[in-house]
Amino acid sequence: MNYYKYYKSIILICLCFLAVANANAQSDWEIPEKEQENVSFIMFDDDMILEGSIAYENSCTSCHGTPGQDDYMPMAPSPGDLASDQFQEQKDGTIFYKIKKGRGSMPKFEDVFADDETWNIVAYIRSFNKNYKQPIPDLGGIIIPEYKLKLDFDENVDKLVVKVFSKEIPQAEVDVSAFVKGMFGKFLLGKTQTNELGIAYLDIDPQLPGDAEGKLHIMVKASKGYGLAKLNQKMKMVQPTIHKSAIEGRHIWSTDEMAPIWLKTSFFITIFGVWTILFFIVIGFYNIKKAGREDLH
Amino acid sequence: MSKANKNDKSRRKFLQNLGLAGVSAVGGSALLLQGCSDPKDSASGKKVKVLTQDNQLVEVDVANLKPSDNIKDLDYLQDRGREGIPGKKFVMVVDLAKCKNARKCMTACQSAHQLKPEMHHINVLEMNDPVRKTSYYMPKTCQHCDNPPCVSVCPVDATFKRQDGIVLIDNERCIGCRFCVAACPYSARTFNWTEPKDAEKFAEVTYNMELNVPQKKGTVTKCAFSADRLREGKLPYCVSACPNGVYYFGDSNEDLVTNGTTKMTVRLSKLLQENAAYTLMPELGTKPSVYYLPPRQNKG
Amino acid sequence: MNDTLSKEILTDEQIDQDLLKNINWGNKFKLWLAFLAVSLIICLYYYYQQIEHGLGVTGLNDYVSWGIYISNFVFFVATSLIGMLISSVLGLMNVSWVKPLARIAELVAVAFAMVAGLIIITDMGRPDRLLNVFMHGRVQSPIVWDIAVVVTYVAISILLLYIPLLPDIAICRDKLKNVPKWQHKMYKILALGWKGKAKQFKLMHNYTRILLVLIIPIALSIHTVTSWLFAMTLRSGWDSPIFGPYFVSGAFVAGCAAVIITMYFFRKNYKLEKYITIDHFDRMGRLLVLVALVYVYFNINEIIVPAYKTNTADAKHVQEMLSGHESIMFWMVQLGGLIIPFLLILFRPMRSPLPLMLISIVILTGAWFKRVLIVVPTQLAPYYPIQNVPEKWTHYMPTIPEIAITAGSFILVLIIMSVLAKLFPVIPIWEIKEDIHHNKN
Repeated sequence: MNYYKYYKSIILICLCFLAVANANAQSDWEIPEKEQENVSFIMFDDDMILEGSIAYENSCTSCHGTPGQDDYMPMAPSPGDLASDQFQEQKDGTIFYKIKKGRGSMPKFEDVFADDETWNIVAYIRSFNKNYKQPIPDLGGIIIPEYKLKLDFDENVDKLVVKVFSKEIPQAEVDVSAFVKGMFGKFLLGKTQTNELGIAYLDIDPQLPGDAEGKLHIMVKASKGYGLAKLNQKMKMVQPTIHKSAIEGRHIWSTDEMAPIWLKTSFFITIFGVWTILFFIVIGFYNIKKAGREDLH
Repeated sequence: MSKANKNDKSRRKFLQNLGLAGVSAVGGSALLLQGCSDPKDSASGKKVKVLTQDNQLVEVDVANLKPSDNIKDLDYLQDRGREGIPGKKFVMVVDLAKCKNARKCMTACQSAHQLKPEMHHINVLEMNDPVRKTSYYMPKTCQHCDNPPCVSVCPVDATFKRQDGIVLIDNERCIGCRFCVAACPYSARTFNWTEPKDAEKFAEVTYNMELNVPQKKGTVTKCAFSADRLREGKLPYCVSACPNGVYYFGDSNEDLVTNGTTKMTVRLSKLLQENAAYTLMPELGTKPSVYYLPPRQNKG
Repeated sequence: MNDTLSKEILTDEQIDQDLLKNINWGNKFKLWLAFLAVSLIICLYYYYQQIEHGLGVTGLNDYVSWGIYISNFVFFVATSLIGMLISSVLGLMNVSWVKPLARIAELVAVAFAMVAGLIIITDMGRPDRLLNVFMHGRVQSPIVWDIAVVVTYVAISILLLYIPLLPDIAICRDKLKNVPKWQHKMYKILALGWKGKAKQFKLMHNYTRILLVLIIPIALSIHTVTSWLFAMTLRSGWDSPIFGPYFVSGAFVAGCAAVIITMYFFRKNYKLEKYITIDHFDRMGRLLVLVALVYVYFNINEIIVPAYKTNTADAKHVQEMLSGHESIMFWMVQLGGLIIPFLLILFRPMRSPLPLMLISIVILTGAWFKRVLIVVPTQLAPYYPIQNVPEKWTHYMPTIPEIAITAGSFILVLIIMSVLAKLFPVIPIWEIKEDIHHNKN
């Protein structure tokens, strides 16, 4: 028995060592110099942070937890809290590289996220660092393609048709994503690429409720390399829906003004009726008085 | 695009993410603040008293109100609170499988609504599952019933249902009879038995029905679906505070709900259908606006 | 034929003398009134505390948000209902023995109904906003119905007390010479120039008759609507369609007991043995047996039906009553406050004045606790568990201010009844005379 106890404590000590070693694991992760200097060409904004948070929640929370909550998984090497100074010290390029390539139990996300999507995640992680200043990229000498988007709706097949042009020329292999704008967020319709004619097709569920004219508020994003374009448009795509007020009609729970007629009438008729009789009787006091006087003669 | 002609220098610095989100967010909230469907109609003619940062009372046109404005006009706030947001029908979905009893929702709610620790607009209950012999956590708010028994019994129209489905309380009108407390089968209502928390601190604040602050002694209070935040196009306090992705919130007219943690927006109908959603005590016929997704079987 | 009156023939003078005897401001009465007033002031002090610090001074909480104030309100409304049963139902059926008791019943009705209206104000979190009920009243709310019918019932009860009192006020005006000036003036005004003319009697009878008919539906609705404060909700234990008749039948039990107690003390204090006879007690005892029987029947319905369905929320509520937390109070009330007294009254000796009065006090106490049993346990068993709140919120215990304020309502009833009994004859003089003349002929 004693031996067994011994054994256990040795294992425990070993584990502790491992944990300490793992705490340093982050700094041990060698990143090529060139990759470290990699920066986003796009300024982080709320939209990127929002999309980053969605991607993060779906792919990262299970191990890293929510940044700032210290609720990451107890693994080796430790995932660590992403809002911690230790983590935030790293350069954008380092974080970007680590997400892309992965190591050990940290999966490789290269094939999951496109570069712009990975930068979204970086933007989200950086949103927990108040002191963060985004490094300014040098875009000198780089030609940034200017994309133009044109949206159409093919009602025969219920598809959103996105055409991507640059200087009137259709652009192939451009990443296109489309969303429906909701009150609190964006609903992803789908992600795809343009074909050789510069056209991307996205399915629209005809069951989606539109506004009174059957319009949906569509947000489309197209990106390829340094090129990025966005378009925000209301389009007639689905059946019109008339939004009914939640308080339409007369109900027991309506305001007094909208009380059910039968209730209102019966209540007031009853009260009015009874009080009229009472009033009549009070008036009758005068008759009693008069009757007393009359007989005096 | 409006920013296409930006000069080259700034473009060299950064590729702007053609700030659609920013523009539309501001546009959206202005529209909601105004409470009318056409944001371009910029002078509505209705003036509202607003307290500026240097403590000056100024009159501002309703159409130019900003979410951060400190509105000092009780009548305006009262009318707006009773009117609600046209064209909306708010719903909440609570994913019980994800709730780990972090209680961030409760804290956020209590601090937003000036509540004492024992007063709950949202209360995370430990529920027993008699079939599986386990327990699970269930956040319980006001269900914002479409057939609200509490509203039916109110003698003075102090609690009422709005066109966007939210059941609110006007604590300027409430007489404190607590009939609504007795009538609510979900025990969602709580009462200011004594002077509310930090009463002196809130003495000068103009009452906002949509936030139900300042609280008043002798009146009822309950979850308002954070109607004040919805007006700004933001998710409710509890929904945003949850670290575990428990809450989805949205407009059922859009059939879209957004998760407060992940900010992921999904189809409401699909979410409910695929997860076998249910409402609390449907047999009572109250028709709640809060849906629950069942707890997971092997929860630790 | 009225065989309950004592057999000896009374002269008019004798009757006047006997029945006007109570109208005097003796020192004994002044002492009694002073005692009541001081007690009331103490209770009012507690009410002031409640206004100052909020309803937090009570034992109420978010779960049991209606406590003994509401129970007491229900009890008062219940007790006041007896005015209708005795003066109206039995009166219209020409049950002549109740005639000397009708005014006592009406006194009880007026006092309890008036104070019931005040109790409901003590339960309000914002009594300063009472007018909101009239300014913003919602016609769908049972509270609004309740206020409407309670006010109407008080008005009818006052009229029903006052109109048959006219000939007696005239007697007071004419015969009572050594009363204070204001009192004499009051009689003069209130008597409405009563001269005992045939036309005056005819008008009085007509009006009384209208009121006697009118009070039946109003009285039924006052207590039915009070029961609806509970029955209209979706809470287990309250959500019951028989609550209306259940409450009304219970009301008659409480009311009969209250009338018997009042009769006893009036009879003893004002030496009315010739007018309120042992036979009256016997008959009131039998009436009490009848209404208690009906009430027992409703109780059985209210318990057996949900209990049979073993697993519903209602059944659990009944289980709590029968063998759970509430069982001690439940059985004390049901057995001690209803069944045993009821069985005792079946024996004739128990219907003589003193035992019957004592039994009535037990029944009335039981009736009060019965209302607490109706109001409180349902709230202690909400559909969702009581969690994350102070431990004391899982039960309910009234506090001293709360009990004092409730006691204040009883004191107020005693004051109203005592003062009215000092201003007016408690037995209708003219009816007694009429009866005796009738018997003579």
